[in-house]
Amino acid sequence: MGILNHALPNIGPVKAVDTAIGWGRKSSIWPMTFGIACCAIEMMAVYAATFDLDRFGAGVPRATPRQSDLIIVPGTVNAKMAVRVKRLYDQMAEPRYVIAMGACVCGGGPYVKWGYNTVKGVHKIIPVDIFVPGCPPRPEALMDGILKLRDQVGRDAVFARREQAGKEMDGRYAAAS
Amino acid sequence: MNEQELHGKLSGAGVAGLGELDTTGPDPFVVVEGSGIRPVLSFLRDDPTCRMEMLHLVTGIEREDRIEVAYHVSSLEHHHSLTLKVVFPRPEAGGHDDWRPGVPSVADIYPAADWHEREQWDLLGIEFEGHPDMRRILLPDEWIGHPLRKDYSYPSEHGGIPLELDAVPMYERGPDWEREEKVRKAKKEERKAGTPLRQPPAPGSDRPHAGGQAPASSKGQRHVIEPHSGDDDDGKSGAH
Amino acid sequence: MYAVEEKNDVFTEELKLNLGPQHPSTHGVLRVELKMDGEIITASRCDIGYLHRCAEKIGENVTYLQFTPYTDRMDYLASMNNNLAWSLAVEKLIDVEAPERAQWIRVIVAELNRIASHLIAFGTYGIDIGANTPFFYAFRERESIMALLERPSGARMLYNYIRPGGVGHDVDDQWLADVLAFCDEFERRWKEYNTLLTNSHIFIKRTANIGVIPKDVALAYGCTGPVLRGSGVKWDLRRDVPYLKPYDELEFDVPVGEGTHGSLGDCWDRYWVRMREMMESIRIIRQACPRVPDGPFMDKKTSGMYKTPLKPKPGEAYVRCENPRGELGFYVVSEGGTSPIRCRTRAPSFCNLAVLDVLLPGTMIADGVAIIGSLDIVLGEVDR
Ligand code: SF4
Repeated sequence: MGILNHALPNIGPVKAVDTAIGWGRKSSIWPMTFGIACCAIEMMAVYAATFDLDRFGAGVPRATPRQSDLIIVPGTVNAKMAVRVKRLYDQMAEPRYVIAMGACVCGGGPYVKWGYNTVKGVHKIIPVDIFVPGCPPRPEALMDGILKLRDQVGRDAVFARREQAGKEMDGRYAAAS
Repeated sequence: MNEQELHGKLSGAGVAGLGELDTTGPDPFVVVEGSGIRPVLSFLRDDPTCRMEMLHLVTGIEREDRIEVAYHVSSLEHHHSLTLKVVFPRPEAGGHDDWRPGVPSVADIYPAADWHEREQWDLLGIEFEGHPDMRRILLPDEWIGHPLRKDYSYPSEHGGIPLELDAVPMYERGPDWEREEKVRKAKKEERKAGTPLRQPPAPGSDRPHAGGQAPASSKGQRHVIEPHSGDDDDGKSGAH
Repeated sequence: MYAVEEKNDVFTEELKLNLGPQHPSTHGVLRVELKMDGEIITASRCDIGYLHRCAEKIGENVTYLQFTPYTDRMDYLASMNNNLAWSLAVEKLIDVEAPERAQWIRVIVAELNRIASHLIAFGTYGIDIGANTPFFYAFRERESIMALLERPSGARMLYNYIRPGGVGHDVDDQWLADVLAFCDEFERRWKEYNTLLTNSHIFIKRTANIGVIPKDVALAYGCTGPVLRGSGVKWDLRRDVPYLKPYDELEFDVPVGEGTHGSLGDCWDRYWVRMREMMESIRIIRQACPRVPDGPFMDKKTSGMYKTPLKPKPGEAYVRCENPRGELGFYVVSEGGTSPIRCRTRAPSFCNLAVLDVLLPGTMIADGVAIIGSLDIVLGEVDR
């Protein structure tokens, strides 16, 4: 958001502008077309007619990370894929959000014990905003996750100064990459 | 034809290296000497009464004393199938890294074998001699070890990607993360190696609260119970 | 590999192109390294393993029963069929046979799942080619199938329903009636699909004469399922080596490719085989539903053994089943313990995908996507 990014004091008029922008942003979260494993099929079911994610403005999957705001990681991430997932995340423009979908990406799932090359949770690789557990999560669960993310996006400040915690986290991520 | 007839047919044709038919299990199989697998398979494929057009599977099996390689072939024309096996006894001091049984590759007889053989090399460390492109297929090229071997030990990370349940997330690593990681690993090793904390203090030692007093033991125990859940798999994998 | 013809008077620089692993039309996380001369692929190399989940190692460490859910996660579009193959392998090892009622239920659920799987193949193939609408139509019917299968099994996608010794839960008459009603409904819908995609002029132009797999190549590379049948080989395990008793008594055809719009074994043939297979499955279900006999749905002896882990005698069993994607095989080697010492999967997609490196050189990049789609791979099964 240019030079004004989080530079203004956290006062009434700035907050009001932020709320208006937040309302716009939360109504058009564009996810990335990205499927890994079984959970991706349930994600496709959410995009399709019966569940229709487009009702919440999130039904326009973009094929490139550079156009998308949200990456849903649907399925087991292994050592070979983790490098790619991280690179995809790095290619996305701020502000970016991550939903971890399924038991595998929330903490290893069925492959936690004997999986010699699975990453036990995608939060080891990229910071995650919403965890949606289940194996696979029902479409309703994923939709609930997206609704929760909408609330979070709507509350996010654009011009006003951000919470300290978020800044710290960005700093840490920059140090690691 | 059933397996018996097929075995009779093979021995009748005088193919070198043919062994016995084993019918003890639910699925019978024919044992073949290592060098004989190529002539046997080409005979089975080309003979008009056998006509095994399709190779289904190349499987390596590791047992206590040997590694076996099993080949499943079947015929669509005659509706019969056969299992062939090559056996490699384990050498005296055959460890994980220095024992790589070599089998002649059949990728030119059955192109289907190409990927199967690469997979067996990748996961079990069986080398197929004469294979056109013997690379890893499923795991990254720079992976260490062959995971389906029974003495494989699980890695804790691969190229900076943490693979453990309790690993520190990559984006949360502070500047002195590497030192902390070393300490964590050392602690883990310590726990694995029999946890010296659990042993009663030696008699006459000058530790505070020695002599089995309540505070000392409870403190020590808390330290022992602490291990994270990931510890458990390492213990098991080490046992192999 | 394909060599660029010397006589070409227009030369472009050779370009290396990476397709995947994040690419909308690689059906998962397949990566193909391509060498391009302009728009023509001159060489290709598949790179798989982005979804390798250690299934075989897990199989060697868990009990026979505990491995059933992992077979779900191999071919997650046809989990019933995977459960079926695994259960048959274990049953062969411990020498039991499922009761008759269980066998008929198995046939019905497996065929329903086959339709669901082919529907995804149909819908996503449309997207690959550039037609978005079939996807939404296919998912509508798929949802009805999932609702049907959810009732006995309790899960939407990964059922863990067919187990060694029988099936997990019984079905009731109402369910059978609903399945029959679905069959009538589906037949009407199927005709819609054909007007949408099958006979569309653009679709035929994009798929006919593309990616031709000759019969001998298909056999040599171990292709099975619709890929083999699309090349004109009439081979279906359900008909030729019936692995469940009911398949022997049921009447159905095995559709094969005929080269309707081009040469035999092109993408359109494979697609059309899948479409007709859905109708054959409907035919099987229609015959099977009224014939489900009364009786137990789980073998008494085996369910008694569920309380303690199964311990088969030393030996080995190899069982093949006709999955929507081809022949799925489980090769289980037991040494008498509670878990097998080797648990190998013959994944149909794995073998079907191997032929891709032969097909791609010499084609245009846009056709390459059509070829990958027509093989209908599931990466969970390729990498396991
Ligand atoms: S959580 Fe379950 S359904 Fe999702 S990817 Fe993992 S195994 Fe598949």
